[in-house]
Amino acid sequence: MIKLSQRLLGPLTLLLLALTFWLGLWVTPPDAVQGDLVRLLYVHPPIAWVALYVSFGTATIASCLYLWQRTRSMTMDRIAYCSMEISVVFIALTLITGSIWGRPTWGVWWAWDARLTSTAILGVFALAYLALRRANDDPTQRARRGAVFAILTAINVPIIHFSVLWWKTLHQGASVLTSTGQLNVHGSMLWTMLIGFVGFTLLFFWLLRERYRLEVKRDRLVASTVDEALAQRRREGV
Amino acid sequence: MIAVLVVVVVVLLSQGLLKSLNYFETVDQALGQRASLGTKVIRLEGVVEPGTISRTNAGASFTLTGTGSNHVFVSAQGSPPQLFQANIPVVVVGHFVSSTSLDFVGTQIMVKHTSNYIAAHPNRVKAPNGTTR
Repeated sequence: MIKLSQRLLGPLTLLLLALTFWLGLWVTPPDAVQGDLVRLLYVHPPIAWVALYVSFGTATIASCLYLWQRTRSMTMDRIAYCSMEISVVFIALTLITGSIWGRPTWGVWWAWDARLTSTAILGVFALAYLALRRANDDPTQRARRGAVFAILTAINVPIIHFSVLWWKTLHQGASVLTSTGQLNVHGSMLWTMLIGFVGFTLLFFWLLRERYRLEVKRDRLVASTVDEALAQRRREGV
Repeated sequence: MIAVLVVVVVVLLSQGLLKSLNYFETVDQALGQRASLGTKVIRLEGVVEPGTISRTNAGASFTLTGTGSNHVFVSAQGSPPQLFQANIPVVVVGHFVSSTSLDFVGTQIMVKHTSNYIAAHPNRVKAPNGTTR
């Protein structure tokens, strides 16, 4: 069962993303106010969802599990690291697609409102996490410091989520996860958006799996080169 | 180290950082603090009143409404964004002409659209509650 779902992950991701693009570009109607610009609704919110909640969230949970004695393992550390790397990519995509949507609708590429600024800050945090990991060669220390940093910066995620409620922002409020539970997206537009959410979420897990495998191989390579170097020194010593 | 950080955060919060994170003043708020605002540059938010838009070579002039009868007369320079239209919420960067005037001179118009997405051709789309919109 697990094996089957592993094999299906890639094709299913591709299928759902293709479906999102087809529905988003050809099937769904133009919006009453935004016209064709609304089609970014099927891309930008799902990407932001993956950036903030799925990937940064996975990195945070894996960091917690690493710090907790009973679940501590290099697996957790690798998951945290790889998720954070994917998060950087998706935060960048969030800012780029948001900017492309903002220019024709708001009239500006960027606004220093609470939602946009806090998202940009999260991007800086994610980059800082990667830099922090590079600054340390000791695997245990690197993992522990990275985990603590990831958990501290995760405080920003709920701030981003509620920024449109707590402060007045140029960015619009929620359309799906509204405080009243009301859905503000109608008909096929809603379904396309939700398929986009699932598609991009699967894309994250597919990327995470591939990146994780690469990381395992890299660790093995590093270990084997260290062993080889040691062996060589011993030969030289003899 | 952590104690220092906590102190810094508390000081920043107490100095009104949270309040200053608001991107704009609504028409109601701006009119409420009319005297203290003077001719300071602010971002003013309100809904474009239908039938008041007149486009000029330099830009556009229109009436922004808040709740009730609160309104501000805006004349803004520069071409408005493509979504600019009657009944849409906008944020205008600019200042009041004087501390008593209701005339507002804008240098930039930004459209603050809502998070409602409804099909342009209503009969094709059904709302979740089954009604066609």
